[in-house]
Parts: sequence; C-alpha cells; structure tokens
Amino acid sequence: MTRMTLTRRQGLAVMGGAAATIAMPAVARAQSVEINVHYSMPAIFKEAQDAVMEAFTKKHPEVKAAYVNPTPTYEDGAQLLLRNAATNSMPEVSFQGLNRLRMFAERGIAQDLAPLLAKEGDLAKLGYSPALLGLGFHAKTQCGLAFAASNPISYYNMDLLKKAGITDAGFPASWDKVIDNSKRIKALGDGNEGMFFRWPGDDWMFSALLYGHGGRMLNDAETDVAFNGAEGLAALKLLDRMVKEGGMPNFAGTADLQAFAAGKLGQMFRTTAQVRSIANSVGTNFQLQTSLMPVIDPVKGRLPTGGAGGMITTKDPRKQEAAWMFLKFATSPEGTTLMVKNTGYVPCNQIAIDDPSYLADFYKQNPLFQAATRQVPLMVPWYAFPGQNSVRVTQVMVDNLARIAEQKATPEQVLADMAAEVRKLIPRQG
Amino acid sequence: MSDAAAAAYAMAPRERSRARSLVGDGGAAWLLTLPAIIAYLLMILLPLAGVLALAFTDYEFGGTSFRWIGSENFADMLKDRTFMASIRNTVIYCFFVVPLSIGIALLLAILIEAGARGRAFFRAVFFLPVVSLTVAMATAWQYLLHPSIGPVNAVLRGLGLGTPNWLGSSDWVLMSLGMIGVWENVGFNLVLFLAGLTAIPRELYGAAEVDGAKSAWSRFALVTWPLLGPTLLFVIIITMTRSIRVFDSVQTLTQGGPNNASEVLLRTIYQEGFHYFKFGYSAAITLVFLAIVLAVMLVQTRLIDRRIHYG
Repeated sequence: MTRMTLTRRQGLAVMGGAAATIAMPAVARAQSVEINVHYSMPAIFKEAQDAVMEAFTKKHPEVKAAYVNPTPTYEDGAQLLLRNAATNSMPEVSFQGLNRLRMFAERGIAQDLAPLLAKEGDLAKLGYSPALLGLGFHAKTQCGLAFAASNPISYYNMDLLKKAGITDAGFPASWDKVIDNSKRIKALGDGNEGMFFRWPGDDWMFSALLYGHGGRMLNDAETDVAFNGAEGLAALKLLDRMVKEGGMPNFAGTADLQAFAAGKLGQMFRTTAQVRSIANSVGTNFQLQTSLMPVIDPVKGRLPTGGAGGMITTKDPRKQEAAWMFLKFATSPEGTTLMVKNTGYVPCNQIAIDDPSYLADFYKQNPLFQAATRQVPLMVPWYAFPGQNSVRVTQVMVDNLARIAEQKATPEQVLADMAAEVRKLIPRQG
Repeated sequence: MSDAAAAAYAMAPRERSRARSLVGDGGAAWLLTLPAIIAYLLMILLPLAGVLALAFTDYEFGGTSFRWIGSENFADMLKDRTFMASIRNTVIYCFFVVPLSIGIALLLAILIEAGARGRAFFRAVFFLPVVSLTVAMATAWQYLLHPSIGPVNAVLRGLGLGTPNWLGSSDWVLMSLGMIGVWENVGFNLVLFLAGLTAIPRELYGAAEVDGAKSAWSRFALVTWPLLGPTLLFVIIITMTRSIRVFDSVQTLTQGGPNNASEVLLRTIYQEGFHYFKFGYSAAITLVFLAIVLAVMLVQTRLIDRRIHYG
C-alpha cells in the first residue's frame, strides 16, 4: 500500500472537479421548471391524482410538479384559489368544479387555453372532441379542460323491486314506470320508500329534468330566463308527480343514501360519482344495479355534466408551458384511464372512450360503472349562470323546488316565482 | 365584565401595594392591564374595525377592487328573503332552546343535588353532550331522526302514531334542531347550576325551616332561587349567546333547508361570505349579529343585574 500524496496542482484539479460535479445539478435544476398543482376532494380523487402524478413524473422528468394540499370540497378549492389570487401565490394548475370554471374565467384567473391548443395541431388526435372541449368553454374562452365527468344515473335495489312484485326484465325506461314502481314499493309499508330524485343540494338534478325535456336555463344571449316555458313546466310537473303519485319522501342531507344503503329505498337518482361509495355501503345487503336515466325526450333530451376540470392560472410563458404539459397529460388517454380506474367517473377523452385497449376490460369487470359512460353522447355542460350571483341562483332554484317537494305550491306557481327571482339575479345585459 | 377589571381585581393585596409604591395607584392598574389591553386591541377591536369597514363596501372575495356603497348592504337585508327567514328562525330557536335548556337543567341539578348517591355519574351522563363533537353527534341525530330507518320513527310507528319527517319537513325542522340544541345545552347549564347550588350555605336552609318554610317549594323560593341569582344570570347569558350562535347542527343536518325553514344567522353569514363570496354583505350581517348579541347582553345585565343580590 503506497501512501497517496497530492501535489498542489492535483489538489486544485480535484477540488475543481468536485465543484463542477456539485455545480452540475444546479445547471440541470435551472433548466427544469417547478409547478404546483391543486385539486379538491381527496376522498375521491387522491388515488387518481397520485397515479397521474407518478406517470407524469416518469414521462416528463424535466418538469418538477408537486401537489399543494388538496382542499376537501370544490367550494374550499374555489376559496383557496381566490385567496391565492389576492396574494399572488396561486398554484399553476388547479382542478375545479366544472360549473365554477366560468367564475374563474370571468375574473381573469383561468388563462385561455386556445393558443396552447392551437399549437398542438389536430385536436382529434389528442382525444379532445368538440363536445368534451365544450365542458370547459365559458365566457368565450377555453378556460379549462374536463378531467373527470359525471352524469346522473339510476340506482335500483333489485331485491326490493322483486318484493314489490316488479319482475319484468330490464329497467324502467320511462318516468311513468318509475313512479308506478315507487307506488308499489311504498305500499309494502314498514318504512319502505319507492324512490328519491336528489333535487336538493343544487340545480344540477333539476337541470337533468329540464334538459331531459329539451329545455334550457337561459336564452342564447343570457339576458333572460328560458326555463319558464313548456319544458320547465313539464320538468316541475314531473317532480310534482314523483311526490304526489310516487309518494317520494322529502329526504334532507344524505338521508336518501342512508335509506338506500339500509335497503329501504327502491329507486334512487343521483350522480354516477357515487357509484363506488354506494356499492361499498350496500355491500352484500341486496342486489344493486345501476342503469341509465329514464328517457324523457328521445330526440331533444340531454343530461347535465358534473365533475372537475383543470385550469391554468399562470401567465409566465415558461411555467405555462410546463403547466400545459401536466394538464395535457392528465387529460390524455393515458391520464384519463388512470382517473377512471381510480374513481368511477366518466372518461373525458374521446380516444380513451373509443379505443378498447384503454378501458374495455375495466368496464367488463365493473358493470356498475357502465351506465354513466353509455350516456356520454347526451352530456351537455352543467350550466354556470353568468355574473356575480352565479352560485346564488342555484340556491334560489333549490328553495323553490322544496315548495313542490313539500306540496306547498303548484308547479305553475313555482315556475313563475322561480323565473322572477332568477331574473333579478342575472346581469341586466349580456 | 372586561378582562382588564378582572385582572386588576385578581391582584393579591401585597402585590397591589408594591405596584402602588412604584407608579401610583392608577398607573399600576394600567400597567398591569396593558397585556390584556394589547391583546384585546389586536385580537378583537382591530378585526372588528375591519368588519365594520367591509360592511359598507361591495367587496367580493377574490375581487381586485371595491366601492363604498354606504348603507346599501343594510337596505338589501330588508328585501332579502333568506336574511329575514334567518332572523325569524334564530329568534324562534332561541325562545325554544333558552327556557327549556335552563328549566330542565335547573330541575335536574336540584334532583341530583338532593339525591344521596350517583351524583358524579349523573353529572357525567348529562355533561357528555357538551364534550362531544357536534358534527360527529349530528351524524347520530341524522340516523335517530331518519324518516324511514330512524329508531325514533320506528318507535312511533310501533305505537301507531304519525311519523314526522323531523329534518325534512319545514313544519318540524326548527323544532327538531331546537330539541338537539336543548340536549346540547342542558349538560353545560346543569354543571353550572350544580356549582351554584353547592355554594349555597347549608345553614340557610335550616334557618328557613326554623322560620316556617316547611315545604320544599317554599325553601326553594326563599333560599335556592334568590341565591342562585348570579349563576342564573350567567347561565342565561351563556345559553342565549350559544343559541344565537347555532351553526354546526344546522350546517351538518339540514343546510338551512327546506326552503330556508332552518336558515339561521350564522349560517347566512357563512353562506354569503364563503359560498357566494359576498364579503361586504356578509360583514354587514355580521354587524347586525353583533348588535343583537350586544343588545341582549346589555338588557340582561342592566335589567336582571339590579334584582340580583350577590351572596
């Protein structure tokens, strides 16, 4: 063993080399971009987002993406972004409720994605169909891209239907049949309820009845209400019949979910986003089956879309590019597949929907998730009202629907009051 | 009942005299209350000033600018169906919860105090609702009062009685929430009353008996009731403010519905501020809320305080 001696020159060279190796990552770091991503409802989305992040980091190591603490609800998520906007500390990408994107577009927080999309060329090759892009198009800007979509579906307790002597194969294709079933289940007594249509909460489920008749919330110029016509009245009358003829109870909060899980509710109409949790709470208590929403107007009928969309908040070109890479990946066929498998939402990428190599196996193994995906062609955006009273309008509608659910007013009265009250809350001119 | 007065009062006599010798009587008092004054300024008066300023603007959360709009927010309240319903409901709720929870607590306190054994047990049982989390308990209430699977309605059905939709019907919802409010407050009031009762000197009861107060009722009227005065005043104020502040049970069980039948003041403030992002309007309602609380406290302390004699 010889003793190692270093000359002064050698020593310097070693030190220089060491300095160079220390300095190297710094150079690499300067080239990579850091972005923060925010999402809400970790109870539903955490696994999906973690999977997306892992895959993204593997594919794009040059972008250092990280999640900020997820917010428990969409509402908290919107508050967080507004707070951050005031202090100039927004995450570069944020996933928000689809009906809140409009507010962020109107306040100039959500950046227009159109220029970024234009650079991509053929959007069909990315799986962005016009209908899917439409879910994130508000206030004349492409303010977001749909990430996870939901639509209302039917949940049936097959055991209870059987008990009430309803054995015909297939599912009620019409509301008449649903209401008739409900009557027969309720006649069983012992606290059994025939049906619940989840009208409280917000205007979403009501819009399913309105769109189902081919109606609209506001006129094209968004200057006046449009739901006060024949379609709106038909929607309210249908709700009225559910209560009058179907004996629909007035469940508050999540009482319908509890009754359903306990096997005391025969037919329930709710978002598909809950398929996973409902299937878990039902367990093996009874045979659960999901199906399409009963069709109202086979030609004009549509269904509202719920769920989350991603938006980009940064104006910095370098950060914007990185943010776009992340958002593009999250909404790509690959990202969408990860999202669907981990949540049960409807895919928001046409290629992931059409190409069987992505999700066909999953749907074969999880038939409960099929109902919503089969309704994709019917989906239209969850209408976001214009102006500052956007969220308040939905509450006004729910308050008025409560009067029908409690049989305290006729559909005609409610429609007139609802139209008058909503009219006061929308901006005077477009 | 300011912290400053309490702090000055709490000083031991020896410290008082030492402080006096250094900076004089008044100076010492100010010096000793200084920390409390600073905390009060920073934590209470400053935010309050902020709320006061906001109440006269149309500021929206996340907005970049705002306008001074004078008393417009307050004028809007009078036309606001939700706000009017929320005032009415809060008043009804208070008139339901305050007398019932105080009456029941007093009755229970006297029974427990008179009882020979099990005092600690009953005290713990009735105090449980106070230490349990309202939000968690709301889940239990939701189940108990569930219209179709709830045990309460199962019992009623078994007895052949009607089964109200406790939380889903606008005729029942406020009463149901009121009952939950009573349940929450009784335990707290009970413990306060028990403390008040033990503070009453035993020999007064003996003296009353000698003077001819033979029945339990006359002993209660002559000794217990007047000597419980200070406790009662405190209990009334606490229960009143706790009832005006009702929020958790409403938010978790009914979200103010159906059709505003259970909308209460604090929820309206929350809803306007954090759901609709109308900070200005929300601040204005907060001021109204504060004014009501202050008025209630003033009336109670001025009117009732005069009739109370402190042991």
